[in-house]
Amino acid sequence: MGGRRPPRQVSVEEGQDCMVCHFDAMASPCELLIESDDRSEAARLAEIAADEAWRIEDKFSRYLPGNTVGRINASRGDAVTVDEETASLLDFAQTLHNLSNGRFDITSGVLREVWTFDGGDRLPDPQAVSSVLQRVGWDKVTWQRPVFTLQAGMEIDLGGIGKEYAVDRVAVKLRDAATCSAVVNFGGDLAVTRAPLERRAWRVGIEPVSANERRRDTVLEIAAGALATSGDSRRFLLKAGVRYSHILDPRSGWPVEGAPRSVTVAADTCTQAGMLSTLAMLEGHNAEAFLEGEGVKFWCRR
Amino acid sequence: MTDKTPKSVSATLAAATCSLLGSAPAAPVQAQEDPGWDFNTALLYYGEDNDRVQDLSLNILGKRYFVDDRALTLGLTVDTLTGATPNGAIRQGVPQTFTRPSGSSVYTIPANELPLDDTFKDTRVALTAGWEQPLGRLWKTSVGFSGSFEYDYTHLGLNGGLSRDFNNRNTTVSAGLAIARDEWDPVGGTPIPFSPMLDVGDTGNKTGTETKDVVDAVLGVTQVISRNLLVQLNYSFSNSTGYLTDPYKFLSLVDGATGDTITRVPAPGVEGPSHEFRFESRPDDRTKHSVYTQAKYYMGGKVLDASYRYMTDDWEIDSHTLDLRLRWPIGEQSFVEPHFRFYTQSEADFYTISLVEGIELPAFASSDYRLGNFDAITAGLKYGWTTRGGNEMSVRAELYQQRGSIPGNLLIGNQVGRETYPDLDAIIVQFSYRFSR
Repeated sequence: MGGRRPPRQVSVEEGQDCMVCHFDAMASPCELLIESDDRSEAARLAEIAADEAWRIEDKFSRYLPGNTVGRINASRGDAVTVDEETASLLDFAQTLHNLSNGRFDITSGVLREVWTFDGGDRLPDPQAVSSVLQRVGWDKVTWQRPVFTLQAGMEIDLGGIGKEYAVDRVAVKLRDAATCSAVVNFGGDLAVTRAPLERRAWRVGIEPVSANERRRDTVLEIAAGALATSGDSRRFLLKAGVRYSHILDPRSGWPVEGAPRSVTVAADTCTQAGMLSTLAMLEGHNAEAFLEGEGVKFWCRR
Repeated sequence: MTDKTPKSVSATLAAATCSLLGSAPAAPVQAQEDPGWDFNTALLYYGEDNDRVQDLSLNILGKRYFVDDRALTLGLTVDTLTGATPNGAIRQGVPQTFTRPSGSSVYTIPANELPLDDTFKDTRVALTAGWEQPLGRLWKTSVGFSGSFEYDYTHLGLNGGLSRDFNNRNTTVSAGLAIARDEWDPVGGTPIPFSPMLDVGDTGNKTGTETKDVVDAVLGVTQVISRNLLVQLNYSFSNSTGYLTDPYKFLSLVDGATGDTITRVPAPGVEGPSHEFRFESRPDDRTKHSVYTQAKYYMGGKVLDASYRYMTDDWEIDSHTLDLRLRWPIGEQSFVEPHFRFYTQSEADFYTISLVEGIELPAFASSDYRLGNFDAITAGLKYGWTTRGGNEMSVRAELYQQRGSIPGNLLIGNQVGRETYPDLDAIIVQFSYRFSR
């Protein structure tokens, strides 16, 4: 969630048949499409959206030492009492950990110390991976709402949940603030606030896997609900013809084999869509079978 | 994760998200691809050995999705059939002459050869149209129309379907109903059942058009058993009434002792049959019941698709079909799919080889080899790949082998050792291309 902080400003433009607002949050370009021709109304809604996105970024980004996540990561084994919102996110992370039999783990971020997915061919030393793995595992934390205890040397990273959570939170705020329909799109993870009136659905494109692939964009129509995409279009390693996706299995510390290049899932909320696409990536070769079994709409690219 | 039922992930996730966000979703998701039209096209060649039936068929199916999962489907098939097919008469030690179905000329089959009618030539155009419409989140309905047109046969049909998801979409129950009216208008008229084949120009044995009504109903359940296994069970009922006889098939009228076909002499100055032949006669009612079960099993990218069908009807034909396909990915962009199918059926109760002179005719009789006792094996391979443009192509090649036997009690006199079931070998080659616009 965010590295260097870009300037916090919101732009509002007139799009073809809607107002388009832009701002940056959580290291992603954020876009609002608002079914309205009222620029000041769009600006008001963009302000609400950006404020909420920045609030979540400030509170949960792992790059800001003094915030909630920073406090937990600096706790060196001490118990930390967290607020309601953080507790809800930790509960959610715990549920996901259980649902995925340990494959979804918010303590797995330290694996970045040994893995750098830059398209190159440098695989880490297996010894180094095993050693970092000692500091990974939700089963090593103590979570008794509202008290969270993290072992020294471990870290949590809510980046795997944060953006989708922010999209849904912003969508709820905009639904409360306006009767017009809007699309909240944070770097491709998006939600529709309410059914559009002037069009049957919003049209959004799913990016091709890579720019040099001539495969056309898939255009989706969305009238309600949300879409989220997980993918490794730029983040992978290639060694001896084997492509290592950036999707790491926190149980082994190594990339999941056979993960698709990208998975887009449609669900009622962006959080659900995001988690389903992440879980599908973690399934590797079985991603499509998993999603088919779940009976959700998805678009998978390999 | 593999040991969890699929239901638990989505349902648990939905509940967890609801408590995380402190609110339920505003509305159920409504999202779908907007590809414009999605086209499935196929060119299929079916060729039987020994100059029997050859079929070249072009198929185009277009599907357009609209918002809310509504979809329009339009299909067009153009078929060209040529070649020869057994006409139903038995072999003879002498040449046999037959009047063509049109009644305007004759053809002669050499001694000891299986009589084939080589007038088989037809172009068929078939059209389908369908509309799918969900009703709420769980119900789905569909209606459709089908029509096909040949110079001697017209089919018009309507169909409708209804399905509902249960059990978190792990179970789908569906029902379908189709009605059709088909009309025969053979060149030269429709033969009167059991009427004799007459000389060229004599149409005393023909009437005008005949019709057939068909009602099909199907009830099915599809069940997600686990992440990797999907099963389906269907029961179907089919009832046909009206003219179910094949107007181009007939039987030899034979001597009860020798089993040889009774000879005849055409009227002076005209061409006509050299032997006595009687047009076949089938019951005007047929009811079929069938049970179909299918399982799809996903194994780390590979998909095994196995199905079995049992069919029984009141013509006493029982059949079993076993079909196996295994889709095996090769790299990320292609796959191979071996296919094996086994089919076996028992003969219809009125299936026979010939009619005996001087004995009262049975109520019904047909020597159509397709109503006989036979086994068939189809074995083939399909190779499919994704093009750079993201479209799908595939090539399929299959061999079909049909082997039958004639029950010994149907053979009389010289027919023993001379008459054999007309075995069939065929090849099937198909090229498919799927694209969106």
